[in-house]
Amino acid sequence: MDVNKTDQRALLKELKKILPVDGVITDQAGLKPYETDGLTAIKEMPWVVALPENEQQVVRIVKACARHSVPIIPRGAGTGLSGGARPHREGVVLGLSRMTEILDVDCVGRMARVQPGVRNAAISEAAGVHGLYYAPDPSSQIACSIGGNVAENAGGVHCLKYGLTVNNVLGVRLVTSTGEILKLGGALYDNPGPDLLALVCGSEGMLGIVTEVTVALLPHPQAKTVLMAAFKDIVDAGDAVANIIAEGIIPAGMEMMDQQAATAAEQFAKAGYPLDAAAILIIELDGSEAELRDQAGRVGRLLNSHRAYQVVRADDAATQARIWRGRKSAFPAVGRLAPDYLCMDGTIPRHKLAEILMQIHRISEEEGLSVANVFHAADGNLHPLILFDANIPGQTDRAMAMGARILECCILAGGTITGEHGVGVEKLDTMCVQFSSEELRQFHRLKEAMDPEGLLNPGKGIPTLTRCGELGGMHVHSGRLPFPELERF
Amino acid sequence: MCILEDYPFQNWSASDVADLSDALTQQVQDARGSGVQLQIAGSGSRIGWLPRAQGAFQTIDLCGHTGILSYRPDELTLTARAGTRLVEIEAALADRGQMLAFEPPIFDPAGTLGGMVAAGLSGPSRPWLGAVRDSMLGIEMINGAGEYLRFGGQVMKNVAGYDVSRLQTGAWGTLGLLTAITLRVHPIWPKQTTLVFNMQAQAALAACAKIAGQAIPLTGTCWHEDKLYLRLGGSEGAVRGARTALVNELSSAAPFGDQFWGDLRDHRLLFFDQPQSDWSSTLWRVVTPPGAPLPTFLRGDDILPLLIEWGGGLRWLYHDDEAAVKAYAQSVGGWCWALGHPLPTEAIQRRYMDRLRQAFDPEQVFCSPLDFTHGN
Ligand SMILES: Cc1cc2nc3c(=O)[nH]c(=O)nc-3n(C[C@H](O)[C@H](O)[C@H](O)COP(=O)(O)OP(=O)(O)OC[C@H]3O[C@@H](n4cnc5c(N)ncnc54)[C@H](O)[C@@H]3O)c2cc1C
Ligand SMILES: Cc1cc2nc3c(=O)[nH]c(=O)nc-3n(C[C@H](O)[C@H](O)[C@H](O)COP(=O)(O)OP(=O)(O)OC[C@H]3O[C@@H](n4cnc5c(N)ncnc54)[C@H](O)[C@@H]3O)c2cc1C
Repeated sequence: MDVNKTDQRALLKELKKILPVDGVITDQAGLKPYETDGLTAIKEMPWVVALPENEQQVVRIVKACARHSVPIIPRGAGTGLSGGARPHREGVVLGLSRMTEILDVDCVGRMARVQPGVRNAAISEAAGVHGLYYAPDPSSQIACSIGGNVAENAGGVHCLKYGLTVNNVLGVRLVTSTGEILKLGGALYDNPGPDLLALVCGSEGMLGIVTEVTVALLPHPQAKTVLMAAFKDIVDAGDAVANIIAEGIIPAGMEMMDQQAATAAEQFAKAGYPLDAAAILIIELDGSEAELRDQAGRVGRLLNSHRAYQVVRADDAATQARIWRGRKSAFPAVGRLAPDYLCMDGTIPRHKLAEILMQIHRISEEEGLSVANVFHAADGNLHPLILFDANIPGQTDRAMAMGARILECCILAGGTITGEHGVGVEKLDTMCVQFSSEELRQFHRLKEAMDPEGLLNPGKGIPTLTRCGELGGMHVHSGRLPFPELERF
Repeated sequence: MCILEDYPFQNWSASDVADLSDALTQQVQDARGSGVQLQIAGSGSRIGWLPRAQGAFQTIDLCGHTGILSYRPDELTLTARAGTRLVEIEAALADRGQMLAFEPPIFDPAGTLGGMVAAGLSGPSRPWLGAVRDSMLGIEMINGAGEYLRFGGQVMKNVAGYDVSRLQTGAWGTLGLLTAITLRVHPIWPKQTTLVFNMQAQAALAACAKIAGQAIPLTGTCWHEDKLYLRLGGSEGAVRGARTALVNELSSAAPFGDQFWGDLRDHRLLFFDQPQSDWSSTLWRVVTPPGAPLPTFLRGDDILPLLIEWGGGLRWLYHDDEAAVKAYAQSVGGWCWALGHPLPTEAIQRRYMDRLRQAFDPEQVFCSPLDFTHGN
């Protein structure tokens, strides 16, 4: 998208009329914090950052940008891990971080209405006085915004039982690319017509700007218990996960770490994980006391029957917190093992866990870079962390290439290239592998329906067909690959 | 080597399965430019819910496109062709102690999976276990250009590309023909029980509000004819505990048969069979915030033509005064739909829905009872 300089000058004047002085950032020092998001490997300085304080200002900014054909990059807290909020050299970063009001907490309807810049954790804090909380809990929850959560359809460690963002959002107000306000859903359990609200979830700021969110709240469970199990063989751990679910038990959370990740986490957080385990499983159960007694007993027996050699059960908050602390600090802990790491986000059917781990191991040996594995085991979402050193020439590229190979394995296993971090700019190439050109064309037509001028977050999410063509895109689907007899890895 | 396994694990009886994907694709391609529109038909079970399409059209029949393609109880996922009957899917799931969490109404045993998604209707458990859209994981479909497309997949978490699968719920066939659908499934709770309390509508809403914030395993509420029915589902211990707590809180309760919820879900209760009654011939489905007050136009004896579900969030009522019902729905921030009439959507929403329809079906090959040209 080429932007006309005269348009830029005119737009800047208008922005300064719409916003207070400190709401328009143009100086290099002020722009610097916006040059990247959580995917720090990719940087670009924005032209201007605009920080509206209310929906009306958002509407006016969007209309002004539309008039001058200047691209808009929505941004929440900038914790995204796929470069979704990466700026555009000639565009406006529309930061929602000043819209932080909690507008309403309704205990009868178990809902809260909030502005997009409200931090995820702040919602549960506000609802806490009523004994309620907001279930989706990405690890970044103290920093990330609810608007960013909607745009990425963020997950967390409690997704299997309580769902992703899309399952916990009842309504949004969306400012479209022409500055219209689209009210989707509300404090209601269903809405007429095609589910536009679901479409907006996970749309990475490409279909509209979220200016208000109505979320569902849940009562705090009466009690919870946490089990930590150690395995000598990672295959046993994978089988235990599948069998717990097949037994009809839906744990509130079920997380797995391989030896590399668990050891790093233990050294970092002193969580009490055995250092000789090939895999560690953390299982959280919640419900009434009676329910927990029953479930914890059954889970304990299943863990034993899958050769867990150590099982610790924590009923007190302090021990539970200690066990979780290891998992929650796994990323920074692994971060100490190497100068840089790349966090992948593939999802696979759970029963393929052991197979995919073996493949990751092989790819790691072939490429000569080590990998620590952290999984949301309950929902099959893998976070292989590829360790590398960006200062050694070629290593960044090798890490990226290795990540792409892992994601291709996820697709072949019947899974997907991204479970919760989004495509952004990072996974544009692997999108060519997951989707056919007809499917990609359908995505582009859908985008055009919502944003005919292509103003919102251009170049993200969906690759152009030309890009895929240049890659010589190998499209595979549901494990159906041309020439399946050929070895590829 | 990477894993190259296709749809795994087929443990149901494979009788009565047929793949018509190619024929259906051909039919759509043939319809392009022919001037004849295609009306997608599952079984016709929701035939009375929307007005019929106008003009000439041909029916494209999904009834023969059947079969469960993959069911893995340990993955909590099921994939089936769109013409598969819901009763068949329910039976396969029940066999393994599982169910569809959103309890889709089955108005007719011939009702199909595709029709369920296209209509997007959820049953009594909706506020606690989610709607149809919440269980959608993936689809295969044919768009108006006759292209065969796949979106989503068989995993719980998937944010690659736009969520076309969930978008399809409630689309009533406007965004293409669904040929296969993957759903997330749910374990059947080990214990279920129904309690009935005698109380008037106002008191019932207050009771629902009071228990809304409590961590009890509620899976359904219904108020009708001065009785509040509550359903609990969960582990033996959880249900027993909640039952004691509720009886203490709301006074005496009588146990009741669980059959009630199936009758409610599938509209077999006498209440839904009222056109011949003297109330009104118009049945309204009013979706409101759960805590919304009752309509003031219902008083005393008039309260009879009312049935409340979803902890207060769904209210069925017979009423002739269209303007009064609409004004009520609007005043509480909800919406209302008179069955047999167009779905009420706001003009701006309709404009975007229509644009999306054009994105999926630029030549208007499909005709649907969902009408974007009329408002409420
Ligand atoms: C340490 C760490 C741990 C993490 N753990 C998790 C995890 O467990 N689960 C998980 O899902 N993610 C996780 N993430 C990723 C990230 O936190 C989430 O994607 C989060 O939802 C991003 O929110 P944000 O406010 O930072 O959005 P940003 O990064 O600012 O933006 C993300 C995307 O959303 C768009 N966007 C932002 N706000 C709006 C809006 N109001 N309207 C429209 N579009 C908007 C942007 O354009 C961009 O495409 C983690 C990140 C870090 C750094
Ligand atoms: C003889 C006859 C005449 C008819 N005349 C008319 C008429 O004039 N006008 C009219 O509107 N209808 C007419 N119908 C009914 C129509 O064909 C559908 O049966 C009806 O609209 C809904 O029925 P259904 O079986 O799809 O129901 P359901 O299965 O309950 O489906 C409900 C909705 O879902 C859509 N749908 C179903 N399956 C899919 C799928 N796989 N993919 C996408 N969408 C799907 C349907 O189009 C419908 O909108 C007639 C039916 C018959 C048998």
